Amino acid sequence: MPELKTMEPSDTLDVLGRVCPYPLVLTKKKLEKMNSGDILKILCDAPASAEDSIPRFCEKQGCAMEVVKLEDKGYWEIYIQKK
Amino acid sequence: MPIKKLAFIVDKLPYKAETSRLALTHAISSQTVEIYLEDGDNVEPVLAFVGDGVLNCLKDQKALDHYSISSMEMHLKNALLLDLKVLVCKEDLESFGLTEDSIVMDAEEIGGEETTKVVPYDTILQEMDSSDHILYF
Repeated sequence: MPELKTMEPSDTLDVLGRVCPYPLVLTKKKLEKMNSGDILKILCDAPASAEDSIPRFCEKQGCAMEVVKLEDKGYWEIYIQKK
Repeated sequence: MPIKKLAFIVDKLPYKAETSRLALTHAISSQTVEIYLEDGDNVEPVLAFVGDGVLNCLKDQKALDHYSISSMEMHLKNALLLDLKVLVCKEDLESFGLTEDSIVMDAEEIGGEETTKVVPYDTILQEMDSSDHILYF
């Protein structure tokens, strides 16, 4: 299976500037409206959300996920494929 | 523990203390605790404003201008954005001479779909009765 980051996302969620818990709750809300197999791309600059709460949520939900830290831009791109 | 219902009851004025702000922070944060719970467990929050607490919901708050802090109005809109169930006591609102036009009823400008519900106190009591935990702020 190709890496999620190389696939065309079905939707993008920009939570730049928002801190925990908003990125996770907005991610949950967005995923609820998506279909199984859809890919959500999230732009997030909150470390706790990008490196802890969103990955933990995906693990619980059984969703495939990739986190890409963009050092030069100071934020993360998170790719989630809805189960 | 499949789903625990939590009622966050706010009866304090805004800004005099941090109390009502804490209520919103806790209510919003409660929507994320499922990641730390067992599979199938979750919490269902409801946020209700009663007594003096209804004044937290006023429109056009100038907290940033006067106190250099974010307004309760913005926090309330964020709660609606995150689909929190927000109730305001009808009788207490009327006791201040206020109507739905005076308070934050939606968060459409930031993409919120949920709306504030102005309800009789009896409805809030029913919510409290059906809650597993009641937290007063």
